Amino acid sequence: MTFDFVEPVVFALLSIGVIAGGVAVVMLNRITAAALLMAFTFLNMAGMFVLLGAETIAAFQVLIYVGAITVLILYGVMFTKFSDSPRALFFQRQTPLAALFVAAVAVPIVIVGTVSFTSAPPRPGGGDLPALATSVFTDFAFPFEIASVLLLAAMVGAIALTRRDDPQEAAMRRRR
Amino acid sequence: MTVPLGAYIAVSAVLFFTGCAGVLVRRNAVVILMCVELMLNAANLALVAFSRKYGSIDERGSVFVVFVFVIAAAEVAVGLGIILSAYRNRPVINVDEIHQMKG
Amino acid sequence: MISLVWLIPAFPLAAFLISGLFGRRWLGHLTGLVATIAVGLSALLSIGVFLEVLGGKTQTVVQLYRWIAVGDFSINVSALIDPLSSVMLLVVTVVSFLIFVYSNGYMEHDAGFYRFFAWLSLFVFAMLILVMADNYLLMFVGWEGVGLCSYLLIGYWFERPAPYYAAKKAFVMNRIGDWGYTIGIITIFLVFGSMNFLDVFKRLEESAPAQATLTLICVALFFGATGKSAQLPLYSWLPDAMEGPTPVSALIHAATMVTSGVYLVARSMPLFEVAGPSLQVVGVVGAITAIFAATIALVQFDIKRVMAYSTVSQLGYMFLALGVGAPVAAMFHLATHAFFKALLFLGSGSVIHGLGGEQDMRKMGGLRRKMPVTFWTMLIAGGALAALPPLAGFWSKDEILGAAFVNGHVVLYAIGIITAVLTAFYVTRALWMTFYGEPRDHHLYDHAHESPRVMTLPLIALAAGSAVLGIVVGFPPEQGSVHSFLAPVVEAAGLAEHIPELATIVALALVSVAAGVIGIAFGVSMYVRHRPDSAALTRAAGPVYRVLVSKYYIDELYDHRFVEAARAFAGASWAFDIHIIDGLANRLGWVLAMGGQGLRRVQTGIVGNYALTIVAGLLLMLVAYGGYATGILGR
Repeated sequence: MTFDFVEPVVFALLSIGVIAGGVAVVMLNRITAAALLMAFTFLNMAGMFVLLGAETIAAFQVLIYVGAITVLILYGVMFTKFSDSPRALFFQRQTPLAALFVAAVAVPIVIVGTVSFTSAPPRPGGGDLPALATSVFTDFAFPFEIASVLLLAAMVGAIALTRRDDPQEAAMRRRR
Repeated sequence: MTVPLGAYIAVSAVLFFTGCAGVLVRRNAVVILMCVELMLNAANLALVAFSRKYGSIDERGSVFVVFVFVIAAAEVAVGLGIILSAYRNRPVINVDEIHQMKG
Repeated sequence: MISLVWLIPAFPLAAFLISGLFGRRWLGHLTGLVATIAVGLSALLSIGVFLEVLGGKTQTVVQLYRWIAVGDFSINVSALIDPLSSVMLLVVTVVSFLIFVYSNGYMEHDAGFYRFFAWLSLFVFAMLILVMADNYLLMFVGWEGVGLCSYLLIGYWFERPAPYYAAKKAFVMNRIGDWGYTIGIITIFLVFGSMNFLDVFKRLEESAPAQATLTLICVALFFGATGKSAQLPLYSWLPDAMEGPTPVSALIHAATMVTSGVYLVARSMPLFEVAGPSLQVVGVVGAITAIFAATIALVQFDIKRVMAYSTVSQLGYMFLALGVGAPVAAMFHLATHAFFKALLFLGSGSVIHGLGGEQDMRKMGGLRRKMPVTFWTMLIAGGALAALPPLAGFWSKDEILGAAFVNGHVVLYAIGIITAVLTAFYVTRALWMTFYGEPRDHHLYDHAHESPRVMTLPLIALAAGSAVLGIVVGFPPEQGSVHSFLAPVVEAAGLAEHIPELATIVALALVSVAAGVIGIAFGVSMYVRHRPDSAALTRAAGPVYRVLVSKYYIDELYDHRFVEAARAFAGASWAFDIHIIDGLANRLGWVLAMGGQGLRRVQTGIVGNYALTIVAGLLLMLVAYGGYATGILGR
């Protein structure tokens, strides 16, 4: 019995998870639910990376997205309170137009994308880490360093943005 | 019977445009940020799929994905910082009420 | 001396600059002295130049600099010194000098003293340029310059409304004439390829252009001359120009500017002689103007206006002379007229000054006892005007009439004789009303006084000129030194020396003298013996008298026809400008503003809208890409 059918089935399940999660994020009213379903999407995404043979990247996905980013979002949800009115779902005037435009752009791209790449399937090689690591630290050493500077800048920026103002300083600034 | 490349691209595209619709439609700032993350993820998927297709020749797709991770993380941090800082001014943030740049 | 000829206009120009720049604050009344000395120096130089030309240098061109050189079109600032221009130089500078001396006294109490001398000096400068120019374009510069200065000086007392209306009128009428002048010189350039006098005359001899073109040129130039020299139909500015100060009237409107038209035609005689009927046009217009103006002068009450119409009439005589083929006579009369007319004006000015500003002759009378110098000099000038021998006017006017008769223009001769009678009459009337009889306004009479020496000395000098100039240069008639001097320049080479017999000359002279005597006799009998009584005659000739006093209603005619039409056109243009042109600009602005308002709505300030715009742009790009890829859009 060949297990060839496994891959497409797994792919189907994972893709349903991904898309369902995405739709849920867009449509759900309750933010906490939306955040957790976003995490669910990320996990399914990691699964798809594995399916493609990029395990390192899958690991990163889980670490960074599911781990750090989801937590950050939850912090954000925690510290802010938003109106719970039923109309909180949508922008008031823009929604129909937005839906129209997005659909108009999405449909052709999806169709063209699906149809154009029916050629060779992707080839899961034996692990991607060595090649990836070599690339990052030799060919792309400079962008790598820049990326670390970027992270530093983001850190400093986040701190600067969210620093609680000295009340006297804030009063002075308001008076000026 | 393996999954063709086009299927991965289809999934990536659908997720991307779902996220895009979410950015344009939702009023809640944090939800918008979440949708942006979705979009970035979809891009990652497409990159990895193409990279694996041409993997023996070209690793650069995956390398780019690493950088996208980094940038996404930085972006969420700063974005939340902005939201929280705006939240301090007014307790309720509906994005379409921030229109001081009107005109 | 001729090489220094450009100093002649340079002195008045310097005087203008000095008076204009420094006169107000620093120099004050010194400007008069500066200007007078400048013109005096110019006069001395002119005498020197004249003597040199007399000595034999009959045609010199002195170039100052190369002005325009564009392809075939080349005009230089250079002076043509020949007998014609040297005579004009002499007349202009000497008479100007005397009038400048006079003005120091006349304008003494005027607040704008420096301004007066600045503009008067500028005028002399422009007139000298006009006279010295060796091409039509440079002459036009001077032509326009004197027109401008005439405007400035007529409107000198601009605080009152009448002077500036008069100045405007003078300038506009001049301008209308200038249109003719411009057409003339442009056609000259088109036909002859040059605007230089000598070049044009040479090419005229070599290749004779079409008669019609030449006639057009000459008539156009003459039209310009009518504007400047106050002939029909552009004459009515000259009487109004009497609003200006009397020295201005003397200098500009008697001796110099108004003679520039005569000078233009005299200078262009080679053209006029060949161009068929144009000389006849000149002669006829001149004759008609002469008699027309003389009739108006019969009934005017303002002493200056009498003199103004007299000037128009005498200029008509000069054009008559040109028209009958006696350009030398015209120039001769120009010179003598400059002296005696300037004297008449300055004398009138002296009377006005002595009476504290009164110009109406009905209020004068018996002034000969109070102002003897003025009286005697005016008497000499009046006699010259009436062409009594041996005064200057007789010789020049007699030559004109003689030439008219001898060359067969009997009708013009008759008109000339009648005008001579009228001239003698009105000058007698003017002098009698002013100087003789019982004073009509005792208050004025009591306060009348003779003018200061600075004003009477020029009167005496001019009287001397009026008396002897004629005999010195014009005797014997048709053969005097003025003929041998000027003839080579202005008369065609082929014109036979048409010297009539002595008997004819004497007969014509007797007729001229008789005309003058008849006029004077009539005047004397009318005003001294009241036979016929002037008042009764006025009543009897009621309507004719009214027409004459109203100057044939010409001013009203011009105003009604031309000025109203111009005003209507101006109103229409203004409406067009306001509604259509401005309207266009305003609508355009409004459209842009509305566009901006509309586009402004895109800036809602809501970031989500901007994100939507990005997606819309993406859609557009997709459509474009799809269109190009499938070949629907573009190639």
